[in-house]
Amino acid sequence: MIRQKVYKTSLASLHPSLVASGNTENKDDSPILIKYRFSKGYRHKTLDTTLTKARVAGEARALIRCLRAGVNVPGVRMVDAAEGVLGIEWIDGKSVRRLLPGGAEEEDEGVDETLDDIEDVDHLQEFDISVGEYYQMMGLIGTEIAKMHLVDIIHGDLTTSNMMMRRTASGKPDLVLIDFGLSYQSSLVEDKAVDLYVLERAFASTHPDSEPMFQSVLDAYQTQTGKEWNAIKKRLDDGECTSSVQR
Amino acid sequence: MAGIILPTSFIMPGRLKKPTPLKNPERPYIALGLEGSANKLGAGVIKHSEDGTATVLSNVRHTYITPPGEGFQPRDTALHHREWALKVINDSLAKANCEVSRCSCRLIGPGMGAPLQSVALVARTLSLLYNKPLVGVNHCVGHIEMGREITGASNPVVLYVSGGNTQVIAYSRQCYRIFGETLDIAVGNCLDRFARVINLSNDPSPGYNIELEAKRGKRLVSLPYATKGMDISLSGILTSVEAYTIDKRFRSDGQPRDENDTDIITPADLCFSLQETVFAMLVEITERAMAHIGSKEVLIVGGVGCNERLQEMMGIMAQERNGQVFATDERFCIDNGIMIAQAGLLAFRMGQTTPLAKTSCTQRFRTDQVHVAWRA
Repeated sequence: MIRQKVYKTSLASLHPSLVASGNTENKDDSPILIKYRFSKGYRHKTLDTTLTKARVAGEARALIRCLRAGVNVPGVRMVDAAEGVLGIEWIDGKSVRRLLPGGAEEEDEGVDETLDDIEDVDHLQEFDISVGEYYQMMGLIGTEIAKMHLVDIIHGDLTTSNMMMRRTASGKPDLVLIDFGLSYQSSLVEDKAVDLYVLERAFASTHPDSEPMFQSVLDAYQTQTGKEWNAIKKRLDDGECTSSVQR
Repeated sequence: MAGIILPTSFIMPGRLKKPTPLKNPERPYIALGLEGSANKLGAGVIKHSEDGTATVLSNVRHTYITPPGEGFQPRDTALHHREWALKVINDSLAKANCEVSRCSCRLIGPGMGAPLQSVALVARTLSLLYNKPLVGVNHCVGHIEMGREITGASNPVVLYVSGGNTQVIAYSRQCYRIFGETLDIAVGNCLDRFARVINLSNDPSPGYNIELEAKRGKRLVSLPYATKGMDISLSGILTSVEAYTIDKRFRSDGQPRDENDTDIITPADLCFSLQETVFAMLVEITERAMAHIGSKEVLIVGGVGCNERLQEMMGIMAQERNGQVFATDERFCIDNGIMIAQAGLLAFRMGQTTPLAKTSCTQRFRTDQVHVAWRA
């Protein structure tokens, strides 16, 4: 989403009283990410409040639904819908866009204003990724998207920038889907196919060399979705999806 | 199909300054533009001088106005255009103080079929009579080029809002790409149809009367807010706002029945709510496109672009982003001949002409199908 800012902080620093009173039980130093949706001056006050509230709540709801279904997404830490604030788990990892060939160069050139306030973007731990692991990563992407679609959440903005790779404590690679600002609920095959199609386009344009790898994403997606796959595949192959996007 | 969010990877190198392929003309060019895609018939004469400047020599328009509660039918509109064509063109040429233009341009779409055909016929006749080249022009590109010429905006995100079109457009690699648009009806269509429901006059335009009415509105009624990424949907909003006119609280005369009758909805309130909701959606998708492209300029073109509330809202948004909004007044916002002349002349200077056999018109001609040869 646009015109929202992202900050890194922790619950403990937001509530110093918890630490000062020695209440160690509630003490939480783990970093969180605060997404703040600005109120927009151009919009009628009432309309703006209603919208912001609905959008923050919607994003939190989608995240929680994903969490319940075991999809790897950031955990929800705090929600203040009226103020437009959403606090979620800080994911310590690297954007898939940067890990794939061709993605890193352009990233800063864009308008990713949202990243302005995050420190240490470039100093995250390095990933040593072998060719085999690239395919593994594609598989993880497919699996996570499939798990999300199985509970009827449509991401709405699937790009490689909206996926993060991190290592679990055991050193296993872990893929996390982020930014549910445009997500919504739908059980329609059409919407799921569009979600995949948007990702395919993103792959083709951002990472021209890794396009064949997209097949691995679909393979993993197929394994995870099972019988629903056929309908989605049919829709995805259907020309109409393509033509209406390319317009 | 649902809205598509363009991934950030579609970002275009908008800030790169390349030399323009358009050379200054070696002699002055004069072009006559004819426009007739909807209920306006326009003729305008523009002059491009050797130093690269453009001068508007004349801009004449005649609008086919229907009684309140009625829209314009293609057949009647075509009839209107045929009746007025010679008068409008003669007027335009007289004002421009020139007899026959050096290059005659003409619109080929998109638009309503019958009115387009009648204007195309006039253009072909003129071209053959005076042996002048003919250039087909896309209506949307005409709007954009005129907006750029008048306001001096160099590479803006364009919000094109009219009775037939609602698009957010940005330029990339010799093509005006559509970033977002309406999934159903155009915003002008939405406003005009609502004006018909509450019986507002079509003179000078239903949209203008909605704007006046909305200024008196106080109460914001709740309407759907339908943005999908950079696309919007408007038909549901029209249905919802229409539904309020059969609400128990609706007072069609805008007056309370007695002093206890406070919980009322007036036509002015509905116009106000409709404008606030629909314009907020338009500004939001425009803002989204600006963020994607990294542009700080926004240009509003098309008939709805005259609306001062829309311009104001866009101004606030641009200000919040440290950007700038460019808008024109009704002379250039509303369909006119001069914009066709401008876009046509640009194309002509790049060597594009349309052979007579190809001077047909089409109702479906998307903005991004045009090769914008004159921009870097």
